[in-house]
Amino acid sequence: MTQQTATKQRIKRIRLEDALNANVWDVDAKPHIIVDSEKCVGCTNSACTYLCPGGCFTLLAGKLLYSYEGCLECGTCRVVCPKDAVTWNYPLSGRGVQYRFG
Amino acid sequence: MPLDIVVCVKWVPNTQIVNIDPRTGTLIREGVPSIINPHDLNAVEFGLTLKDSYGGRLTAIAMSPPSAKAGLEFLIGMGVDRAILITDRVFAGADTLATSYVLAKAIERLMPTDLIIFGQETIDSSTAHICAQTASWLKLPYIYYVIDARLEDGKKNIVVKRVLERKIEVFELPLPCLMAIAMKSNVPRPVTLSNKIKAKMENLIEVWNNEMLKLNINCVGLKGSPTVVSKSIPTPVVPRKKLKFEGTDPIEAARWLLDRLAEEGVRVI
Amino acid sequence: MDPPSATKFDVAIVGAGPAGASAAYTLARKGFKVVVLERGRTPGSKNLFGGRVYSHPLELIFEGFKNEAPIERWTKREVLSFVTEEGIVSVEYASGSSTSFTAYLSKLSAWMASKAESAGAILVTDVRVDDILMENGKAVGIVSGGDRLYADVVVIAEGVNRLLCERRNITPQLSPEEVALGVKHVIRLGTDKINDRFGLDSNEGLAWFLIGKVTDYLPGGAFLYTNSTTVSLGIVVFLSHAMKKVKRHIYEVLEDLRTSPPFTRLLEGGSLVEYGSHLTPEAGLKMMPKKLYGDGFLIVGDAAGLLINLGYTVRGVDLAAFSGYLAAEAIEEAHSLGSYTSHNLSCYERKLNDSFVMKEMKRHDSVQKLMSKSHIFELYPQVLVGTTKRLFEFEEASPKLLEAAKESLKGKGSKFKMLLDAITLMRGP
Ligand SMILES: Cc1cc2nc3c(=O)[nH]c(=O)nc-3n(C[C@H](O)[C@H](O)[C@H](O)COP(=O)(O)OP(=O)(O)OC[C@H]3O[C@@H](n4cnc5c(N)ncnc54)[C@H](O)[C@@H]3O)c2cc1C
Ligand SMILES: Cc1cc2nc3c(=O)[nH]c(=O)nc-3n(C[C@H](O)[C@H](O)[C@H](O)COP(=O)(O)OP(=O)(O)OC[C@H]3O[C@@H](n4cnc5c(N)ncnc54)[C@H](O)[C@@H]3O)c2cc1C
Repeated sequence: MTQQTATKQRIKRIRLEDALNANVWDVDAKPHIIVDSEKCVGCTNSACTYLCPGGCFTLLAGKLLYSYEGCLECGTCRVVCPKDAVTWNYPLSGRGVQYRFG
Repeated sequence: MPLDIVVCVKWVPNTQIVNIDPRTGTLIREGVPSIINPHDLNAVEFGLTLKDSYGGRLTAIAMSPPSAKAGLEFLIGMGVDRAILITDRVFAGADTLATSYVLAKAIERLMPTDLIIFGQETIDSSTAHICAQTASWLKLPYIYYVIDARLEDGKKNIVVKRVLERKIEVFELPLPCLMAIAMKSNVPRPVTLSNKIKAKMENLIEVWNNEMLKLNINCVGLKGSPTVVSKSIPTPVVPRKKLKFEGTDPIEAARWLLDRLAEEGVRVI
Repeated sequence: MDPPSATKFDVAIVGAGPAGASAAYTLARKGFKVVVLERGRTPGSKNLFGGRVYSHPLELIFEGFKNEAPIERWTKREVLSFVTEEGIVSVEYASGSSTSFTAYLSKLSAWMASKAESAGAILVTDVRVDDILMENGKAVGIVSGGDRLYADVVVIAEGVNRLLCERRNITPQLSPEEVALGVKHVIRLGTDKINDRFGLDSNEGLAWFLIGKVTDYLPGGAFLYTNSTTVSLGIVVFLSHAMKKVKRHIYEVLEDLRTSPPFTRLLEGGSLVEYGSHLTPEAGLKMMPKKLYGDGFLIVGDAAGLLINLGYTVRGVDLAAFSGYLAAEAIEEAHSLGSYTSHNLSCYERKLNDSFVMKEMKRHDSVQKLMSKSHIFELYPQVLVGTTKRLFEFEEASPKLLEAAKESLKGKGSKFKMLLDAITLMRGP
């Protein structure tokens, strides 16, 4: 227990929002992710909600909510969706995440 | 009636991510790229829309270090016809007075022109002075917060709409004039392949320095800048309460939020 | 844009990653009129990887590589760790010489693209290619929005998400079995802390791979690479397994790792400067398109499925770059034959087969298949850590090695299977 508290002091967890805020962004006004949430009805896996590293997909009262602003452009949502509900393309004009280190 | 339009743009550090190292309190600037001031993209879009309607030509000018060339290429990618990079060591360290002076002198060289447009303000200084000051140097009329413009009477006058907090006003201005476009009043168009290739293959970016402009060095750059920063006060840190609504019902969530706000003394009307 | 003759190119390359930039550099130096189309604002701004690059192939491609490239540190320490709730067992290899270095992919890609530009290639950024332009089954250019651009050959270097290849039915849609997801933190610590805490001299780098609990025992692993002033810390998980077994947000898996020993001590006082993610091919030869060439086009790099993941190391940058280089050679050869038909471009596949790229892909294919099996990532750490714990943590009677091993193997599956895996791992097919 004492060891654990010591660990806690050493290093704090960073919330996902704050981690995303460490990045440089130039977010497009138009979304580059579109989900046909009709298709999500009955999805038992909802892999997008825990595998999207940007946390763009959440379930609220059984309904899928999504955003595109924190998209890291990896394409995971497209690959894991068992219902083919995600239409995903890269943003235009170089917009979106701007990796400085990568 | 084709319009000859000049748009002024500023190359700014992407301040949205100038993070502060929590331990040293200094800015983390490594690798932070500069961008065209986002509100200036609204000005460019505004100019391009006018060009779409009336024909003509759109010239972008930026006073900046040479790295702004990348930003000007982006604007040509959007459809700007020609770009001018005003760059010289003697222009460095300029305040709004010295900046607007150089811009006005550059615009004089581009005369006759019909319209000179600006962004509303910049993300790195946000004084919103430049349009008004440039207009004063040029002794031309100007207007801020413009959301729409259309030509009347052939090419003599332009009818503009501008937004104030609770109303929209309509004005008629004689040409040439200056205007600052309301931020977020339009969606800047994407870069196209053909325009971007043009930016790469044709020499559309001119570089102007003071050998060419021949401005008095006491009126430009640091020397021509009377502004003094006497003290800067960091924004006080507001302690966050970090409350979290744990339910799932959106209506309940909204109600909960209003209740919390009420506890803080925020009155909802 | 309907092309005035001035904007017709010999070669159009989609993507300015390691594969596209290497192809562009090589072609431009051979005198071809090349255009590279990159969707990012700057080359590198959309690229992300783990952190270690094998140098030799890049030295062959790029003149002045060792002196000019943005190399962070030369890898002199290699550590492989097996992690369970009980503890960690690590194997370390240290050497005076080094064949690989740590780097940032954004900076390395940008450098490669700048070399291509100085060699005469035209680099067009901010432009997303939407389709390959096909006429009578032959690639004749690319489409972006309402614009077309014509070229004699198209090199597809679009990376792992093969949106263009899929649109043209060159490859099927990616399946979770074919890819792994990587998420990564870049944490600034400063040179001194890195040198002190990881036992390095300023130019020396550490490559550290961990398996077991670090990914909740899912196929994949965690990595840590030391750069000059930062460390890259991340995890890689095979998507098909992650879909079935990950029970919380993938970001939390990475945060659990960062906030658990030994990282709490090693990364203390660091600040996060970037958080990113990217997919990587994982299926070995299975993910490769049936043909890497066709009438008027070639496929290179990740898009061609060229990547080796051996569990303890991921290699893609050198393979991507070298495939780009070989594509350039193939284009030169086809040019000398008079046309860019599928037949004339087929020499690309021959060149790949003769090079280290395919030799390595084939040599490691069975290991890669093994790597996608879940038992490796659970059983090995359990047995190794269990055995070691029994060896060192005793109260009176110190156990013999074999006794300890037997004890920790109890109820953990077949010894025979493990032996087979071990043989595969050691000598390949
Ligand atoms: C208190 C204070 C002190 C400052 N001290 C210094 C200092 O010591 N040294 C220093 O270097 N700077 C200093 N600055 C910054 C400098 O004054 C401004 O960056 C510069 O004059 C432009 O003003 P602005 O960014 O507020 O533009 P705004 O007036 O907010 O910009 C309006 C529009 O003008 C146009 N525009 C603005 N700048 C340019 C440009 N360079 N080229 C083309 N078009 C442009 C754009 O269309 C823009 O949207 C200071 C600013 C402030 C507020
Ligand atoms: C988590 C992780 C860790 C890794 N670790 C390592 C490692 O340590 N060492 C190593 O050697 N390899 C590693 N790899 C693999 C390596 O990153 C890749 O193999 C390599 O980057 C492939 O290069 P590429 O040029 O084929 O593709 P990419 O690097 O993906 O480049 C593709 C480029 O094409 C652009 N593009 C894509 N589509 C379009 C379009 N439609 N229009 C215009 N442009 C487009 C993209 O913006 C991008 O710049 C890792 C990968 C991952 C995901």
